[in-house]
Amino acid sequence: METLDKLQILSGAARYDASCASSGSRREGPSCGTGNTSQGGICHSWSDDGRCISLLKILLSNDCIYDCAYCVNRATNPVPRASFSAREVVELTMEFYRRNYIEGLFLSSAVMQSPDHTMERMVSVVELLRTEERFGGYIHLKIIPGSSSALVQKAGLYADRISVNIELPSQESLNRLAPQKHKQAILEPMSLIGRQIQESLLERKSSRNAPRFAPAGQSTQMIVGASPESDLQILRLSEGLYRKMHLKRVYYSAFVPVNEDNRLPVLASPPLLREHRLYQADWLLRFYGFSAAEILSDDAPNLDETFDPKTSWALRHPEFFPVEINRADYGTLLRVPGIGVTSARRIVAARRFSVITPEGLKKIGVVMKRAKYFITCSGRPFEKTDRQPALLKSRLLLAGGSAPEPPRQLALPGLFA
Amino acid sequence: MNRYLYDGTPEGLLSAAARIFSEERDPETVSLDERKDTLFEEGVFIGTDPASAETFFNRLRLEAPDAAYTLYYFTLAEKDGMETALLHYLAQALLHGDRVNGNLTHPAIRDIVAVSRKAQRELHRMKGLVRFEKLRDGAYLARMEPDHNILQPLAGHFSRRLRAEDWFIYDVRRRIAARWHQGKLQFGSIEQFVAPALSDEEKEVQALWQTFFRTIAIPDRKNPRLQKSNMPMKYWKYLTEKQGE
Repeated sequence: METLDKLQILSGAARYDASCASSGSRREGPSCGTGNTSQGGICHSWSDDGRCISLLKILLSNDCIYDCAYCVNRATNPVPRASFSAREVVELTMEFYRRNYIEGLFLSSAVMQSPDHTMERMVSVVELLRTEERFGGYIHLKIIPGSSSALVQKAGLYADRISVNIELPSQESLNRLAPQKHKQAILEPMSLIGRQIQESLLERKSSRNAPRFAPAGQSTQMIVGASPESDLQILRLSEGLYRKMHLKRVYYSAFVPVNEDNRLPVLASPPLLREHRLYQADWLLRFYGFSAAEILSDDAPNLDETFDPKTSWALRHPEFFPVEINRADYGTLLRVPGIGVTSARRIVAARRFSVITPEGLKKIGVVMKRAKYFITCSGRPFEKTDRQPALLKSRLLLAGGSAPEPPRQLALPGLFA
Repeated sequence: MNRYLYDGTPEGLLSAAARIFSEERDPETVSLDERKDTLFEEGVFIGTDPASAETFFNRLRLEAPDAAYTLYYFTLAEKDGMETALLHYLAQALLHGDRVNGNLTHPAIRDIVAVSRKAQRELHRMKGLVRFEKLRDGAYLARMEPDHNILQPLAGHFSRRLRAEDWFIYDVRRRIAARWHQGKLQFGSIEQFVAPALSDEEKEVQALWQTFFRTIAIPDRKNPRLQKSNMPMKYWKYLTEKQGE
């Protein structure tokens, strides 16, 4: 098979992996080699679905022994199969990199023969790239659950980022949709990687020549909407992954039906709005000082589709507002709808020069159509609202909260059978 | 309000700033414009003095490195008619040092920082969007038409990244080029550009990239609006993956 045909099959099979980040690692290129990495990451293109292309995202093979219900590469799916040789991947990466198409390589794979066999072949590709080609660009390597810890170790020494996919947010869903995958086989390498990263960071503090282990950290991905977990369950899981395992990112991927299977829900379209709201909530966890328990509760375990999670929180907590722009601390400012990390930092910086006026606030970049209901400026409110939640909601909606999309899902055939 | 004029060059601007700051009590009440030699022009002309321009810039670098950085990117934007704002910005920078960019409610600071940021943003964008083609002699060539004059920092980026290759980056509209050859970076202008012949395998590699670009998109999530807002169409002209669209 020609490289072009393989590329078509193996990039098509890799497109459901959400991660394309190339940030978090800063490496000077080898003096006579090719490539370096940029701390902030660089996007090189945007595909027709609007997602950024930063890495050459491919599978080494789509020839899978597993039969996960949601996966396009499942063993029983009648799709064309292909596998790259290590040399082919190396050539593609180098040719693309020299033309500045990409920031580096994202290599994943279906499970061929066994997890160890697959992982070994994947590691040998990046080994070739790093040692023979002296490639200094970004490498994201997927860890196959169930592969030996020696291979995980080796992967972390060559790659900038490594990731193990959680796939589904609970053990029950894994059992039902991916019976060959086990929670333990996923979580074990994750905690091993987490420990290694921490150790390597410590070692590098005492010696600059200590080897880096996955300098861009660890991430994971789960599919949203293929199984019945609530948003609260998902956010609690993410919270645990960030706080206990020190993950850099959790990716959420709206379930796109690619197989006919009576264990899968029937959707009119992928739950993109739900995915979007989860990402917003994820940002609240990581950058805004929120906890999962603040965002959702057992009484209301799913994110509101009408309002973003921060606005929803604000509507439930009228006692927290109004916030005085000229006095509130950074953490309090962050909780105001319409004020993000950038605006909050700017407000704090600008206050050191002079009192911020309403005009100044606009210039700083605060989204006034949302913020104005929740703030005062030198004691003066912007809007005379009686702060009745219902009235506030309708005003915010008029001001262009997002219009609710048609009800999402969900008949879950087979689930209650 | 005193009016001053200068010759329109970056050095001239810094020379004027140096002199105005040494003579004027409150530089923020002063205006500065490029001399156009029209009949009704008013103002005191300040000539370029490379030595005082350099002294001034070094002082700025020492007292407010962030402002020197902002100034560098501001000049890449090649914006006319903002000299007075820049003068006021520099006055604030010397007054407040590195904190100056935080004072975003100050109109001059806001305007200068905004222009400078736009240039930085395009530089970052072009680090991703520049496309090299392999030529018959083995060197690589990229053509581009950015809004800002970002060739110099962009070439600096690639000199750290593609060290083992020989390459050119050509700014088609400004007719200037950067060349990386045997580990050295040079800049020059190009009067007559003749497109050199591509290497034999170039079209094959391009076809591979175009295939990848097509198949990596998830058909059920097609979103051309998002694509265009992230990657405006003005950049498509030289994008390998967008040829023939």
